[in-house]
Amino acid sequence: MSLILDSVSKRFGEVQALGDVSLEIEPGRVFGFLGANGAGKTTAMRIVLDILRADSGTITWNGTLNTDLPRETWGYLPEERGLYAKMNVLEQLVFFARLHGIKAKAAERETREWLERFRIPEYADRRAEQLSKGNQQKIQFIAAIIHDPQVLLMDEPFTGLDPVNAAILKEAFGEMKDRGKTLVFSTHQMETVEELCESIAILDRGRVVVSGSVRDVRRSTGRQMVRVAVEGDPEMAWLDGVDGVRVIRRGQDYVEAEVAPGHDPGAVLATALGRGCAIRQFEIAEPSLEQIFIERVGQIDTTERTLAPRTVTV
Amino acid sequence: MNGWRTLFPNAWYVAVREYRGRVRSRSFLLGTILLAVIAFAATQLPVLIDFSMSTSQTRVAVVVEASGMPSDSQALLDSQLNPGSTDPAAHKGFVLTWLSAADAAAAQKDLESGKYEALLIVARDAATADLAFTLRTDIPQDGGAVKTISGALATLEIEDRLFRAGTSTAALRAPFSLTLTPVSATSGATNNLSHEVSTNLFSTGLIVLIFMAIVTYGAWVATSVAEEKGSRVMELMLNATTPLQMLAGKVIGNGGAGLTQYGTIMAAVIGGLLAQAPIHKLVVGTESASQFGGLDPVVLGAFVVLFVLGFLLYSLLYAALGSLVSRQEDVQSATSPLMMLCFLGYFGSIFALQAIDEVGVKIASFIPFFSPYLMLARVSSGHVEPWEFALAVALLAASVVVALFVAARIYSAGVLLYGQRVSLREVLRATRVSR
Repeated sequence: MSLILDSVSKRFGEVQALGDVSLEIEPGRVFGFLGANGAGKTTAMRIVLDILRADSGTITWNGTLNTDLPRETWGYLPEERGLYAKMNVLEQLVFFARLHGIKAKAAERETREWLERFRIPEYADRRAEQLSKGNQQKIQFIAAIIHDPQVLLMDEPFTGLDPVNAAILKEAFGEMKDRGKTLVFSTHQMETVEELCESIAILDRGRVVVSGSVRDVRRSTGRQMVRVAVEGDPEMAWLDGVDGVRVIRRGQDYVEAEVAPGHDPGAVLATALGRGCAIRQFEIAEPSLEQIFIERVGQIDTTERTLAPRTVTV
Repeated sequence: MNGWRTLFPNAWYVAVREYRGRVRSRSFLLGTILLAVIAFAATQLPVLIDFSMSTSQTRVAVVVEASGMPSDSQALLDSQLNPGSTDPAAHKGFVLTWLSAADAAAAQKDLESGKYEALLIVARDAATADLAFTLRTDIPQDGGAVKTISGALATLEIEDRLFRAGTSTAALRAPFSLTLTPVSATSGATNNLSHEVSTNLFSTGLIVLIFMAIVTYGAWVATSVAEEKGSRVMELMLNATTPLQMLAGKVIGNGGAGLTQYGTIMAAVIGGLLAQAPIHKLVVGTESASQFGGLDPVVLGAFVVLFVLGFLLYSLLYAALGSLVSRQEDVQSATSPLMMLCFLGYFGSIFALQAIDEVGVKIASFIPFFSPYLMLARVSSGHVEPWEFALAVALLAASVVVALFVAARIYSAGVLLYGQRVSLREVLRATRVSR
């Protein structure tokens, strides 16, 4: 009983957009898609929504093929945001709801409720073009969930939101999760993922690099991180001599070091105590998602790889 | 496939949205009002012509130097110059003032001062004893007024000659016999030329209506698709509807808005025609026969069928082509091939009206892209068998169904492809992989 992608592949001409992607997304969970631009996040979502068809592989939700499911199953917030500029907010939200089979009256009630929740009830009668970008984004989110879908797929939902509006959107996420919805979203903001997601998948050039619960992904490297601070010795040069330990960063307050798989972080503590240091801080942690991401995928690439490169024949 | 299962009610919701958006736009409102005003004004043209004629008046002083003229010369000349007005109160184009030879000098002065437009001197030629006329005037010599006067004087001359030959005025006015009969007892009256001309004019008008609807309202469909794609609201729509629902909704909505505009214009035309008589009476002061031509219900029925199917065929393809561009500015160039096809059918049919029975015209009248024009031309000229019309409509309807599926294919691929201009090859490749 979950959303399952089974060996999904998709090719656009020369570009392998998705290569043999298999994932299982638990119902009622918040799932994050991580990946650089062009990693295949949008394509994967469009295939789940049956807007695009996979070349091979299947997608099932609760055991039913996605091609057999009604569209109302899904709520979709596309990365490219757009509304009908000349239409007023209430009218177009009711329009979207009715396309999903909601009665006009119920749709209007639901719309007003959500506008209230987003603290913009007075915008119901404004034309979309009169709204700020952030507020338009809220309207688009409402458009995606107005028909009460079981699964919510959102492409970069936090891009372009200021901290206040991002917090409001996170609240809405919580509301949807409380209603038992399954939330899937893509992002390249690691803090958001660590804050919201229970499970993630990191995609790179159409392939799943790693997936699972956030805890498992962090532990997947087998490495551990230690943060140490002692009185009177900010450099702690002796750390470099401890077996299996590599210093990552020497900061103002503490030194951060990586402990290779199979080595005990306790060795660092033991060494410090052995040297008679007054320990102010000692902390063992898993590597951050950002570190894992950079390790697995490389630098977060900002160049656009969404469009297939044009081949020029001379 | 999941996406194709039902057309309604979603196509209907899309249609309503399209219709409202279109009808509420300022350009629609202004365009409709402007066209309705123009249409109404056009129906009042005959009134305008009558009115401009009624306000012009030529005052002529007639100085009679000749003697022995027929006793009813004055009445004769008056009725020749102002034909058709038996009503003494009616407006006269020519006002005659009869003077004797003694007033000649005074009349000349009045002519120079502008009291008269013309001075006519009627004398008698000493050699032939015929009436000799002199017309002193600055109105154009080759103009209508001089021609009318010249014609009236010719009649007066003939009457004077007959009078002098001894025919009494009573005998000259005696009624004559004219009996109208058909060629044989079984033959009926054929259409006269003016009826033929008015039929041609009428069917040309209907063809223009179809042409305008396809070019204008078809382009609306393409624009609305490009607009949705350009504003990226398309991406929200993609999960809410299927391409087929969107296409059908757009065609119905924009077609409905087009019909609303047409209806308004038609109402203005009919209102104008009905108002023609009262306005004529008000402005000109006399009754006039309304110019309401006889509308043939068969031709009108054929028009409605061909109009609807022709619009559907073209606007579906307009939608497909509109989906290939990412910006509204590119719509025009993307849809130009379709425009050319439309022009071809239109001009073809205008020429075909002159050669309606040619084999080429007959064959072309079955081809779906041209049949809305050519079959209508053939129906209105009355040279078509019922089965021929039925076949053309069946072919057209079948092509609409084919166009619906082809357009939905191109559309579903086209709306996801962004870039400067998507080539048809890229789309065909994309249609193989998406639904």
